[in-house]
Amino acid sequence: MDRVPIRRVIFGTGYRGPDIKTGRIQPSSRIESMLSRPSWSVRSMLPHDEEDKQASVTKEQLHHLLKLSALPQPRSQEEEDGMLKTLESQIHFVKEVQKVNTTGVEPLVALRDETAESFREQTVTLDTLKPFLDQEEKVGNNGTIRRRKPTEMITHSGWDPFELGDGKETRKMGKYFFVKKGKDKDNAPPVLPP
Amino acid sequence: MLRRWYCHRFVSTARLYTSSLCAQRKCFSTSTHCRFHATAVDEAEVAPLRKQLKDAARASRHQQVSDTNGKDQLRRERLKDWELTVGIEIHAQLNTSSKLFSRASADWTDVPNAALWPFDMAVPGSQPLFQPPVLIPALRAAIALDCDIRPRSKFDRKHYFYHDQPAGYQITQYYEPFAVNGRVTLTQQDGLAPEEGTLHIGIKQVQLEQDTARTQQHDEETSLIDFNRSGHALVEIISLPQLHSPQAAAAYVRKVQSILYAVDAATTGMELGGLRADVNVSVRRFDGATGNHSYSGVTGLGQRTEIKNLSSFKSVEDAVCAERDRQIDILEAGGKIEGETRGWSLSNPGATRRLRGKEGEVDYRYMPDPDILPLHIDNDLVAHFRSTLPPVPDQLLDMLRLSYGLTADDAGALLNLDNGTRLLYYQDVVSRLTPSSNNNKTAFGVHVGNWILHELGALLTTTETEWHPDLIHAQQMSDLISLQLKGQLTGPSAKKLLRILFAGEKEPVSVIAERENLLFQSMNDQEYVELANRVIQDHPKEVEIVQKNSKQAQGKLKFLLGQMMRHGDRNRMEAQRAEKTLRSILMP
Repeated sequence: MDRVPIRRVIFGTGYRGPDIKTGRIQPSSRIESMLSRPSWSVRSMLPHDEEDKQASVTKEQLHHLLKLSALPQPRSQEEEDGMLKTLESQIHFVKEVQKVNTTGVEPLVALRDETAESFREQTVTLDTLKPFLDQEEKVGNNGTIRRRKPTEMITHSGWDPFELGDGKETRKMGKYFFVKKGKDKDNAPPVLPP
Repeated sequence: MLRRWYCHRFVSTARLYTSSLCAQRKCFSTSTHCRFHATAVDEAEVAPLRKQLKDAARASRHQQVSDTNGKDQLRRERLKDWELTVGIEIHAQLNTSSKLFSRASADWTDVPNAALWPFDMAVPGSQPLFQPPVLIPALRAAIALDCDIRPRSKFDRKHYFYHDQPAGYQITQYYEPFAVNGRVTLTQQDGLAPEEGTLHIGIKQVQLEQDTARTQQHDEETSLIDFNRSGHALVEIISLPQLHSPQAAAAYVRKVQSILYAVDAATTGMELGGLRADVNVSVRRFDGATGNHSYSGVTGLGQRTEIKNLSSFKSVEDAVCAERDRQIDILEAGGKIEGETRGWSLSNPGATRRLRGKEGEVDYRYMPDPDILPLHIDNDLVAHFRSTLPPVPDQLLDMLRLSYGLTADDAGALLNLDNGTRLLYYQDVVSRLTPSSNNNKTAFGVHVGNWILHELGALLTTTETEWHPDLIHAQQMSDLISLQLKGQLTGPSAKKLLRILFAGEKEPVSVIAERENLLFQSMNDQEYVELANRVIQDHPKEVEIVQKNSKQAQGKLKFLLGQMMRHGDRNRMEAQRAEKTLRSILMP
């Protein structure tokens, strides 16, 4: 018996099933016309050459950004130009993304369980703190409270902070970690803490 | 009160110059015959020297004041045109057993790098684990500062690179802190100048944050790092720019520290590095154009600079003064203030120095921390802390003034002495004196206050002893005071008894009093009559004048009475009875 192709009719699209002769699927003309022209391309997020060449980032700003990120300064003019060009395209990309209207939308920080049930579980209550409140004692009769400090040290079981790989002794100076001031002024981190 | 201690200090200095006091060091007996140590004494010799030394000190003080008066005058003229505005950020270490995001112990810091969990060193893969017990001191601090507690708050990252910040960022609460809109009240009692009146300083927010590791300089190119402190819970208290004088700034920091200590939120003070203050200073002309800077709703301010590394209350005051003068100098010369960070060092006092200018300005790139869940605080928990909040110093002061009848000065002294333990001792003594049926403490409050602050205080100062509760047991103290109040001890003998107790006698007071024959045994009538007759015999001329009842009668009667008092046993004489006896004999 010869196989007879079944013609399926899918409502609304005018789909007639695969072509008998070639077996190719012929989409409806409506779908075809929709798909014939792209409505958006990722290329729109990249900078076009014909745009204004006004730099968004100056050389000084680049150097400042590198200092903030504790990255080394560019070693040559080409490297600097390359960095600036990359930054330009990245800034253009971000500007395109910022064109989306996000009024009233709370920024997403992390994907979390934000149901009322989970909030109730996370809430710190009097019960949570009761064992710690029991460690306090009243002093005198005015309502003064003082926490009883432990007389013995509570150590973390066996974690040696210096035991982080080979060369343990090179990371120590007595019981301390140590840091040496860099001689290279450009790449040295800020001298004083913020 | 201070003056009396001052006097006694000079008695001890006088000791060096006169041999008229008892040779034994702790014995201040100035009676004609020191009961304990046999050296004759003449009280009259001590007084002139004491007066001399006091006068000399007063003269030199006046000299100093008149020297600076000229300079102060000029400065005060200039200050009339300029308004100073100060805002302060206080970082205080919380009194809690664990760190903020790790279970490492926050108590033990003796051995370097021994109280660490991996997260404190930002070991790759370690995660933060919020420790609920840090909320105990944090909530108490926020409630004591009159803040609203937010039921939900979030944690943010503040990015900067430094060797004491292992993760490259500090976890803080920049956008949504857990407490906002607080208030601190400052009065003259707290150290304000009288013309400032009462100030209410608003607190913008109180937030939880992490502390950095501790660094110490080993040599020129090496720093040693101890991560014990890394991750320790801090609370940052940001005030509104509503302080307008250096004294108010120092008073504010002192007040906040005392409040935090009173509610057990922070137990290490500024001197030990447990509390740090960063001060923001700006000036503007009173009558000129208003500045165009503003902070948190306070507008019209001038450009501000920030001063860091302040480690004592005095340095807060001095640094604000110096910075204000520097800014006024620049602006009067026509320059502009740069927004920069400056430092203050004790070794180079009188001026702040620039730490970091605009080009070194750090952009912290605050961002919500995605690893840490928002903090939810139960309303019942907050209510519990509110109802059981330990009393802050202002409340204790009010209680002492109203329930115990003490003056503001005495109450303040009691609160500040010996970490509050002197206050508890005082209350213990008063409660032992007050019969349980009668709750009226004002009857004894002032009296006990005098004994504990002034008499005992004088002894402590002159012997340079540190007070502790077992020095004189509360029962002994209350027995002594009750004997004196009942009239069984005269003033001088009570003081003598105090000195005996101070020297270490632990026996009951009544036993000691009996043994040392200090108890007041009133003389009987016969003895009064005998004494009166003796005096009458010795002074016939005066007796005649009295009996004639002429103009001088009263004066001579007083003279005869004086003679009686002198010759009788002072410990046993009662002036009124003596006078009555004398009158009855001379003028029947």
